[in-house]
Amino acid sequence: MRKGLLLGACLLLVSLFTFAQTPGDKQSESILIIGATAHLGTGDKIEDSAIGFEDGKITFVGARLQVNEQDWSKVIDASGKHVYPGFVAPNSTLGLQEIGAVRATRDQYEVGTFKPNVRAVIAFNTDSDVTPTVRTNGVLIGQITPRGGVISGSSGVVHFDGWNWEDAAMKEVDGIHLNWPWMHHRHREGGKIDVKKRKSYDQQKHELTRFFDEAAAYANIPAPKIQELRYEAMRGLFDGTLRLYVHANDVKQITEAVHFKRKYGIEHVVIVGGSDSHLVADLLRENNISVMVQRVHELPRFAEDDVDLTYKLPKLLSDEGVLFCLENAGDMEQMGTRNLPFYAGTAMAYGLTYENAVKSITLNPAIMLGIDHLVGSLEKGKDATLFVSSGDALDMRSNDVTHAFIQGRMIELDNRQMQLYRKYKAKYEKP
Amino acid sequence: MLFMKPLLLAALLVCALFTTAQTTFPVNGTVEKDEVLYLFENATIHVDASTELNGSLLVKKGRIVAVNPALPPVEGVVRVDLEGMHVYPSFVESYSSFGVPKLERPKWEPGPQTESNKKGAFGWNQAIKPEIDAADIYTYDAKAAEGYIKAGFGAMFTHQSDGISRGTGAVITLNPNENLGLLLPRSMAVHSFQKGSSRQDYPSSLMGAIALLRQTFYDAQWYAENGERLETNLSLEAFNANAVLPQLFVTRDRLDVLRADLIGDEFERQFIFKGTGDEYQRLDELKATNGAFIVPVNFPAAYDVSDPYLTRLIPLSELKHWEMAPANLAMMEEAGMTFAITSDGLKKPSMLLANVRKAISYGLSEEMALKALTEIPAALIGADEFVGTLEEGKEANFIVTDGPLFHKKTNIIEHWIQGNPTVVKDRSLKDISGVYALTFDDESLSVNVNKDGDNYKASFDLIREGKEGADTTKVKVKLAQEGEMVNMKFGPVDSLYKGVYLLSGNVFAESRIWEGQGQAPNGKWFDWAAVRSEDAKKKDKPGSMDSLMVEGKVIYPFLAYGQETKPESQNVLITNATIWTCEEEGIIEGGQLLVIDRKIKAVGKKLDLESLFGKTTPSFEVIDAKGKHVTPGIIDEHSHIAISRGVNEGTQASSAEVSIASVVNSEDINIYRQLSGGVTCSQLLHGSANPIGGQSGIIKLRWGLTPEEMKVEDGTPFIKFALGENVKQSNWGQFYQERFPQTRMGVEQVFYDHFIRAREYGEAWDAYDASMSSLSRKQKRRGDVPVAPRVDLEMRTILEILESERFVSCHSYRQDEINMLMHVADSMGFTLNTFTHILEGYKVADKMAEHGAGGSSFSDWWAYKFEVKDAIPYNGAILWEQGVTTAFNSDDAEMARRLNQEAAKAVKYGGVPEEEALKFVTLNPAKLLHLDDQMGSLKVGKDADFVIWTDHPLTIYAKANATYIDGKCYYSIEKDLEARKAIQAERARLIQLMMDGSGAKKGKPMEKMPQHYHCDSETDEIR
Repeated sequence: MRKGLLLGACLLLVSLFTFAQTPGDKQSESILIIGATAHLGTGDKIEDSAIGFEDGKITFVGARLQVNEQDWSKVIDASGKHVYPGFVAPNSTLGLQEIGAVRATRDQYEVGTFKPNVRAVIAFNTDSDVTPTVRTNGVLIGQITPRGGVISGSSGVVHFDGWNWEDAAMKEVDGIHLNWPWMHHRHREGGKIDVKKRKSYDQQKHELTRFFDEAAAYANIPAPKIQELRYEAMRGLFDGTLRLYVHANDVKQITEAVHFKRKYGIEHVVIVGGSDSHLVADLLRENNISVMVQRVHELPRFAEDDVDLTYKLPKLLSDEGVLFCLENAGDMEQMGTRNLPFYAGTAMAYGLTYENAVKSITLNPAIMLGIDHLVGSLEKGKDATLFVSSGDALDMRSNDVTHAFIQGRMIELDNRQMQLYRKYKAKYEKP
Repeated sequence: MLFMKPLLLAALLVCALFTTAQTTFPVNGTVEKDEVLYLFENATIHVDASTELNGSLLVKKGRIVAVNPALPPVEGVVRVDLEGMHVYPSFVESYSSFGVPKLERPKWEPGPQTESNKKGAFGWNQAIKPEIDAADIYTYDAKAAEGYIKAGFGAMFTHQSDGISRGTGAVITLNPNENLGLLLPRSMAVHSFQKGSSRQDYPSSLMGAIALLRQTFYDAQWYAENGERLETNLSLEAFNANAVLPQLFVTRDRLDVLRADLIGDEFERQFIFKGTGDEYQRLDELKATNGAFIVPVNFPAAYDVSDPYLTRLIPLSELKHWEMAPANLAMMEEAGMTFAITSDGLKKPSMLLANVRKAISYGLSEEMALKALTEIPAALIGADEFVGTLEEGKEANFIVTDGPLFHKKTNIIEHWIQGNPTVVKDRSLKDISGVYALTFDDESLSVNVNKDGDNYKASFDLIREGKEGADTTKVKVKLAQEGEMVNMKFGPVDSLYKGVYLLSGNVFAESRIWEGQGQAPNGKWFDWAAVRSEDAKKKDKPGSMDSLMVEGKVIYPFLAYGQETKPESQNVLITNATIWTCEEEGIIEGGQLLVIDRKIKAVGKKLDLESLFGKTTPSFEVIDAKGKHVTPGIIDEHSHIAISRGVNEGTQASSAEVSIASVVNSEDINIYRQLSGGVTCSQLLHGSANPIGGQSGIIKLRWGLTPEEMKVEDGTPFIKFALGENVKQSNWGQFYQERFPQTRMGVEQVFYDHFIRAREYGEAWDAYDASMSSLSRKQKRRGDVPVAPRVDLEMRTILEILESERFVSCHSYRQDEINMLMHVADSMGFTLNTFTHILEGYKVADKMAEHGAGGSSFSDWWAYKFEVKDAIPYNGAILWEQGVTTAFNSDDAEMARRLNQEAAKAVKYGGVPEEEALKFVTLNPAKLLHLDDQMGSLKVGKDADFVIWTDHPLTIYAKANATYIDGKCYYSIEKDLEARKAIQAERARLIQLMMDGSGAKKGKPMEKMPQHYHCDSETDEIR
């Protein structure tokens, strides 16, 4: 008996301090969240709202007065609180890297220049300790994206709940990632950088063009006898089923990408990064190209830039009518994903309306990833992937997620960091 | 009149090459006595920059015998008529590496090089090489010499441009005979902050170079004073021997000058500074160094601004420098500074004169220009007894020009060096321009001959009757003058002149008549003659110089958002604000804050001015801050902004001797950006590459002021320590597994070893001081005194820690090592002041509280290294709850401008009360920096460092509306908007100006790549 107790205690400890969070159970009862301010993700909000969902899908969105609480198995009173669609983290390497300095835990960089067939989703580690800390702040969906090379591979979209990547995947492959080669060579001399067109740029562009030419030709063969994995992976770009994500920041790179889209008639092109995108907003809008805006909390590129340029870039694009969302690639991007809501908050402080700031991390990224039929907004028929925060979730002062659901499954909001917190708090509270 | 014929000149030149006038050398052939005198007559002689006379110059054996001799000798004299010519002293180049081998940096190899590769009884560091004397390794470089000679340089300072202490340079004249040319074997000792060809790891940073040089000064003193021979060190011996010479310091920018000058002050040396042409950007401070400058005239070319997208890459500072650089010398002259002009930095020495003329057109006086090319450099390099003026006894180094030197079209005709001429332009060639009536066969043509530089352009008009009247064709004639002959070539022209005509003839009668023979296209010879019918139209000699004005203004600092004037301190009364005092008064709603004379005079709900001031209330501006919040200025305990050339000197396990304070970069845009986030004070920390890092620089973000002015007055000194993965080089790759320590175990021993050595160092000094004070007067008189221990900057710094005169901020993550270091501190008798980062502090918060250590943490960083796997955002809350003085820091130039938001995360993670959370970035870091008596809270008597926020400071909505330091507004949203407009307007003006510049040589757009440092930034920045 004593032995059993000890074993039980050990197991409890192990479960507390080693395992990632257990996935949520399938929604078995209808749930209604009432009284909250519902930020729909569409740019609209409902005060004193009622949001109901059954079997993982949203079945009611409206005012509290329109609903009969008795019709619902479970009612969550969220008066004074806020409800949001699950926030979406595009261009993310969550689950691909656990600890930056430990090579064995890095899975985002494959070798090679053109490797569209490399799929990020299958390396998404659902048991990462990082992901639960991200969910805790309301980020429930991510586009898992490979890095490196010119064509780094294929991304997939997951929600952050599942026993394995298959469970988690909403879209195993949503698009191909192209790192547009730098056009300018930088040569440091005496603290200055001489900027000229890189000698190898034309060659690189030529190779890229050739790769696309051949991939397009290959895509015309309905059932090739000899399969070329790389071109097979590109097939969807030419029939509109896959998106082309062009990672580009400089205005010249972006412009080149626009011409590339036109040349190959690629339907869905998204600029990722786009720190200069406001300079060519018209061109982007006219060509139906959207922008994943680089991490808002970045320094401006040039000393003479407005000091708040990166903070207000979303507002500048919004004013120009360009479809955009926020992404957070950069230093420490995996763990930094939990600050995605605050990037939206900053964008709001620097000009976006509150609801548009919410939209920039919900419906907009969902549209750009092609998952807006499933998620991105609180609308009837969509997945019940949403959360309740007791305060304004875009402000670190008040972001406090009390309930979160992925496809109606109530997910644990605990994480390893909270466990360590409790462990040591308890230590100090001992007499 | 006697003209020197080209033949004679050539003969002289040949003589010069073969004359071996050295008396000690045996002669192969007949001995040349060199007794002939030279009298240069009828010239305008510029004896020196301020003395001009018409007369003659008498030269013998390469020296000046007399200027304007009263009774010129008549026998044995070669008389040279220089009618209409000017004679100037040759220029003196005060900075070059002429004729000295250049050392190439060896190829990069992986892995460390801890020791010097130089074999022999020299010093320990390969970049300290005072034993090098340029005179020993100098050989005449004929190819390079030609450029210098034609540019006007007669004498040169030359040295081996390699290393931090570079040994001595020599002064030579450009004479192929080294024995005659070497005027001064040891002229100046040269120092720099650049490591050069040394691949030895230390130093890798500017601050390391500074520390190394300072330590060398101390070592040399010790070596000279030490009676007992402990070692023979040829480097230190040479360093001491060089001390009597003028000391030149080669700098890379204006801030380097200030840094070098501080070293000079410390060791009572007045350096001469090799500048960079940006002196005008900090003129007052540079003048205050009292140093003379050697300044280049390599004015930047205009940029190609045709592509607006690429033009964005050109920083405002570069655009402005393009406009203002030519005015640098004029501004230095106006400021009364002493400077020499160097051709260093020019692509070719031949560009010198044009650029000096440009400087003159921007206001440099001609007199000063000449001085800066002759007398001043001669004096600086200690060669004024030989060169620099045309006085009796000096070397006969002079240039002959065909007009006033600085007039646009004046040319250097000849350059005489130690009596040997170089002919740049043949004076004997007559001007043959004019209109000539050329006749041959039946033709009679009127040929126009015009001078075009050194050549001629010739043409005639051929008039033929066509169907529609006379038809005029202009026919070009190719004309070449060759001594007393002239050759012409023209055709084919038309049906009549089908082929090419070749004419050759002689010039007679002062070029009034040409006569000769020609060959027609059919091979037939004919006679021809040309008679001058008209003189060439004399073009006015361009006597007047352009006078150009610089429209732009110097801004401080010299980059975007710099200001023309420094902010003034204001007396301010802020009313109706929500005031976060960070003191017992807590948050005062609708409160008032009164700032008088840079300090907080009063703070409260409603101030009673009468009881404060009686009847003599000083004037103040009232700012209505309704709806706004006021907090103390934000203090960043851990920052790496505003640092020049290297944040780590991680090449040794301890680098306590280096100091970030010595390399503060006042010209970093991030200072301004952080002001926009309410930051007023930052501790600039050394990185974390080694257990004992370097000393800190603690600055207030006084944008526009100099590094020294930014430093916090009366600050307590700090030093950076580090633990864990960085110091044991865990992530440096396979080639860095040699330097001790490679484990946490080794890290502990590094500390013990250094602390115990520092204690022994202190004891040695105590013993010395005691024996000094017990000496009798007689002993002292006899000089029978003990030898002082060697000053060891590293040990001295560590000793300060043991004596609680310097405090530690230690980069730390894991609880074991935190625990370890507190044990080290306890056992060595001091308190560990701050653990910075301290991400596992929550595991040992009780121990930290007991020890008395503070914690300065990240709000929510983790998972970037294995050692931060257990980092939690609740860390701050637990530390605070356990009574540890807790701060949040940035370690990141971007995050630093949102530290108020980071403080808010202490509310989110762990529920720290808001007032206390704000203290994480205000009062608590002030306490950790021992500055809480000056700043950190809004308390009467403290510095008026505060921020007016648009909103609750812990919300994402809050923006700094205005940031004040010492009662001066360094940032406000309004000022910022004005500055943006000003930047746009200034850029537009300069770009338009660049496009106006006719024919200006275009440079490629340049992008300055600012380096943003983190703890781990490990670079070698001082090549």
